[in-house]
Amino acid sequence: MMHFSAPRGPALAGALLLSSCLLQAQPANPEGLELFETKIRPVLAKNCYACHSAEAKTRMGGLTADTREGLRSGGQRGHAVVPGDAQASVLLEAIRYDGKLKMPPMGKLPDAVIADFERWIAMGAPDPREGKTQAASTIDVAQGRRFWAFQPPRRPKAPEVRDASWPRGTIDQFLLSRMEEKGLRPVADADRDALLRRVSFDLTGLQPTVEEVEAFRADPAPTPEAFRRVVDRLLDSPQFGERWGRHWLDVARYAESIGRTRNAPFPLAWRYRDYVIDSFNRDKPYDRFIREQIAGDLMPAADDAARRELQIATGFLALGAHDLNEPDRKLFPADVADEMINVTTRSVLALTVGCARCHDHKFDPIPQKDYYALAGIFHSTQVRQGLRQRPQFNAAYFDRSLAVPLAGLEESQDPEYERLWAELREAEKAKDRDRVRALAKQIGSLQLPGNLAMGVAEARKAVHSKVNIGGDPHELGEEVPRGFVQALYEPEARLPKIPRKASGRLELADWLTRRDNPLTARVLANRAWHHLFGRGLVKTVDNFGKMGEAPTHPELLDYLAVQLMDQGWSVKALIREIVLSRAYQLSTDFDEDNFQKEPDNALVWRMNRRRLEVEALRDAVLRASGELSLARPEGSPVSGWRRNELVRPGNKQMQAWETEVSYRSVYVPIVRNVVNRFYETFDFPEPSETHGARDVTTVAPQALFLMNSDFTLRQAAVAAERTLAAASTDAERIRQAYRRTLSRDASEAEVAAAERFLAAVKEGYSEPPAPARAGRKARKEKAGADKARKRAAKGKAARKAKADAGEAETAGAAPAVGAEQAAWTRFYHALFNSAEFRYRG
Amino acid sequence: MSWSRRNFLKNTACGFGYTAFAGLAAEELARATGAEAPLAPRRPHFAPKVKRVIFLFMQGAPSQHETFDYNPELEQAAGQTAAADGGSKQAGKILPSVYKFNKCGESGIEISETFPHLSKHADSLCLLNGMATDTPAHPQASIFTHCGNITFVRPSMGAWALYGLGTENQDLPGFVTMNPAPVGGALSYGAAFLPASFQGTRINIAKGQDPIDNIRNARLSQGAQRAELDFVQQMNREMLERSRVDNEVEGVIQSYELAFRMQTSVPAVMDVSKEPESVRAMYGLDRKETQDFGTQCLLARRMAEAGVRFIELGMQGWDQHTQLRAKIASNCAAIDQPIAALLTDLKQRGLFEDTLIVWGGEFGRSTFQQNNSGDGRRHNNRGYSMWMAGGGVKGGLRHGRCDATGQAVEGKVHLHDLHATMLHLLGLDHKRLTYRYSGRDFRLTDVHGRVVEEILS
Repeated sequence: MMHFSAPRGPALAGALLLSSCLLQAQPANPEGLELFETKIRPVLAKNCYACHSAEAKTRMGGLTADTREGLRSGGQRGHAVVPGDAQASVLLEAIRYDGKLKMPPMGKLPDAVIADFERWIAMGAPDPREGKTQAASTIDVAQGRRFWAFQPPRRPKAPEVRDASWPRGTIDQFLLSRMEEKGLRPVADADRDALLRRVSFDLTGLQPTVEEVEAFRADPAPTPEAFRRVVDRLLDSPQFGERWGRHWLDVARYAESIGRTRNAPFPLAWRYRDYVIDSFNRDKPYDRFIREQIAGDLMPAADDAARRELQIATGFLALGAHDLNEPDRKLFPADVADEMINVTTRSVLALTVGCARCHDHKFDPIPQKDYYALAGIFHSTQVRQGLRQRPQFNAAYFDRSLAVPLAGLEESQDPEYERLWAELREAEKAKDRDRVRALAKQIGSLQLPGNLAMGVAEARKAVHSKVNIGGDPHELGEEVPRGFVQALYEPEARLPKIPRKASGRLELADWLTRRDNPLTARVLANRAWHHLFGRGLVKTVDNFGKMGEAPTHPELLDYLAVQLMDQGWSVKALIREIVLSRAYQLSTDFDEDNFQKEPDNALVWRMNRRRLEVEALRDAVLRASGELSLARPEGSPVSGWRRNELVRPGNKQMQAWETEVSYRSVYVPIVRNVVNRFYETFDFPEPSETHGARDVTTVAPQALFLMNSDFTLRQAAVAAERTLAAASTDAERIRQAYRRTLSRDASEAEVAAAERFLAAVKEGYSEPPAPARAGRKARKEKAGADKARKRAAKGKAARKAKADAGEAETAGAAPAVGAEQAAWTRFYHALFNSAEFRYRG
Repeated sequence: MSWSRRNFLKNTACGFGYTAFAGLAAEELARATGAEAPLAPRRPHFAPKVKRVIFLFMQGAPSQHETFDYNPELEQAAGQTAAADGGSKQAGKILPSVYKFNKCGESGIEISETFPHLSKHADSLCLLNGMATDTPAHPQASIFTHCGNITFVRPSMGAWALYGLGTENQDLPGFVTMNPAPVGGALSYGAAFLPASFQGTRINIAKGQDPIDNIRNARLSQGAQRAELDFVQQMNREMLERSRVDNEVEGVIQSYELAFRMQTSVPAVMDVSKEPESVRAMYGLDRKETQDFGTQCLLARRMAEAGVRFIELGMQGWDQHTQLRAKIASNCAAIDQPIAALLTDLKQRGLFEDTLIVWGGEFGRSTFQQNNSGDGRRHNNRGYSMWMAGGGVKGGLRHGRCDATGQAVEGKVHLHDLHATMLHLLGLDHKRLTYRYSGRDFRLTDVHGRVVEEILS
């Protein structure tokens, strides 16, 4: 026999202790409590706790029976116990065995026990048990607000420096003054080649073309002036947005499927991707950029086109990874709201407000109540991903009516869709599994109308959230009015008031982008610095809280933040000022003395050499081979997928776009749980969470990819073909190859080494390999080349075929031509594999 | 810096590439170059009982009642109506095991007749009959089994093991997974916020596929490839000379040498063709029904021997809502002989004592039948069975018990406890194995977990 008191000793003692306090607050009802303790509690413990217990974490049907709160708030079927109301108390219905629900399942309770419960509920169901209680907050917000990051930035005075000739601007003064304090001396300036490669990768994600290298070299103006022109050209190029947009997409955890357990595709996500890229290209003021993403749907628009842009912007909130299979009806919306709180606070504020979901923040002055102030805003918001949660038979996930209809693009009725959807509803009602599946498949393959996007909208009703005790949406504490993070504003600040019927997103957006918000501008300035120097002034770019690192140059960070706001939140102006600093233009030279004093280079006595991210690496290979297409592809391959087919590894719809298409890497689809292996191998961040900084790992699979993948081999062959067709002498070709890949000239020694390598390959090539094998291989490759040409003629996968043909053709061609092609292929392949190719200096 | 990186490079410059590294163990290499090798072996928190883990993951939630949980209460309660489980509204009649249990070994623990081979190892098995987990949904529970969390994307246990211990053979990945279940996907062997080098490497076991992506160069002989690599490394060394001190470029140079060696070592460890016929037959490679899992088990032994830290094998199709009798029989037949062979082989080679073998699914099944068919069971996360064997755990032990409703009532081991125990056996304190991310320290066991001392030998 199980008895409640035996295994639950300490917890029970605690509960009783609490209950005695509670009894004093409640009108005494000794008779009712007596009844509860003698007749009700033992029955609950014996028959119900096994499946309905907060403590044992078994909450069948969402019900907990071991707390008063739990019984009263009930489970999926409603309130188990409503004091004084037998009709409304689901528990009575269940134990009487007269409805569908029969509890306990092992057998009906004796009639006398049922009568006890009836009497108890009629008495008002007195119940002294306290479940988990909301602990009183011990956070002193006023004290916490004194932390540096929570004080609004103020424009600091630029410091004096001893070597007044070195700085080119205010940024340099701040940096040099710290260096002088530490006895460090900045190294020499970078040469023009290195500078051009650096700034081209940093601003556009591409290495300079050979022509651009030559033009910059030939510019007779002094380097600072010539460089300024280069910077302006790069900032104005459409490739700028593709580079810096991708940085934001990392932060916005952008992906084209929902991820988690039911990985439905997001056929509409690409609109948000393009929105982000366009916003950076148009130099949309950063404050507006943020406002649009949080509350675009609530902002005024001049016309339909502008309205559509604002609707698409809110895709930011809708792109979260949610568990469509979550059965708990209270937990699911709580998780969705949580996701929005996380992405908003980490991306814009670099704060981990999400930590306060279950308890007060352990390190930062964020009481749990602040979290629920934000939660109210997001619980008052509808997320419109176009997906249904837990559709019958895991079939019809995508639902047009759950996406955002774009303004001014009212599509004419789609009778086919309407008909199928009506049929689907019928089939779902009839629980006809096969029919539902067949219809879902059909619906998922219909042409997608052009008027839909992902985004958010106001919920039907605006609500305040109650504190979820211990993060448990079934254990509710006090109600918190919708609001913001207290530590980030002075109590006397006049905050935007949230209207009673509004979610508060518009006010949240306003609050986030106020000048006196201490974090928004700082966080962006720091992210920009991170992307340009390889290390943020605050190294923990996504955490400005106590557990983050202190800034190396707090005043410089404030200067940049204030400067950003003073220049109308122009991101391009911010980047421009940073790259025009002398510090940005330093060489990567080693200096023994500096290194001994400050090996980490946090004080920027030289430029950090930086690894190319996977996108830049892939684009660099394609640009070097001449294959890269700068045109933006329309939409995304994901929008053409069968929308009701969940994405799984090995899914037939997944293709190796990353190696087969020639457009820029930012447009290659990113699908959660099945991020392509190329990207994954080269540190692409897990796309379900905010990443302001990427890992930089050096692992063998990266080397294997570069050494052995079809992609690098094919691109090397294409590059070789182009090289052989273009320039004249070997030495000239070698120089071209260095410029195309490494953006610099080969030294004489390098030319000589390359010539030796080429000669060795050619020599090796002319040697007849083992006859039988070679014969078979050649025949096979010849056949491959023929097939490839045929494919190319059909126009399908033309580029791939051409590359294959280029490689294979040489095997069957005259030895001299074959040897040339093979040698240059090997040479380009070696350059793609070189460490230098994978870095910008 | 007596043995500085630069000196090292200078002194070995002539044969720097392949030969200089080939003979060096990773630890020496790391010491010599000063570069931090993320996978270099690291000292555990305390003396470990085992060096490696082989996890046999049975996706679909295998029925404990037909395998490892002998429960006479079900006989007595047969036909009574029992509790429905989470989410589903139906209850059903209690269904006693459709298979017979036999007392096995000296310990006399009961194992189902569906495991005639494995039964012979009964005295080595520690049956955990009181397992419990948080959710009865396959995808979430699979992820929970691997990562200890379903709400967020978290590192998997193999990644945690590598983070804590590194790995012993630098020529092979330290964490491999074969035939991972599509349910849960890459999250089940992911590194989440841990450095990417700790993520599991998926080994393709299908015939005609490369075991690891890009492990072969389809167009170059090894000699030609080496010649090209020498040219590349020459460029890299020149770059290193120019920049003088640069861990990253050194790291790139090393990664190429490792990759080059892996091209030989990975196919070598994967090549079971040279195993003696008797060994192949012992694992059941000669029979269709045991061939797949037998190959996985044999590969697991080879990898264990080669120093891989965390090896996961996968078998799917344990979701017996229907066809309980037939499917349990065929599933068990597919794994019984291979697992028994693995245990025998590990014992013969002296590896059993420092290997932890864990068997189990993401949850278990109801004591009652589905739709009163007598041939199917529903989901049950409140009580199920797993087992452990190998170093540090008591053999011939049944730990835990469920009642007739399928609820773990004695010796309850929550998955967090299992994780804590696994780490403990590896010499890691689950409370100290933390990683700082996003402003706080994370653990595999979050804020839970208890080492199950009762089962430790």
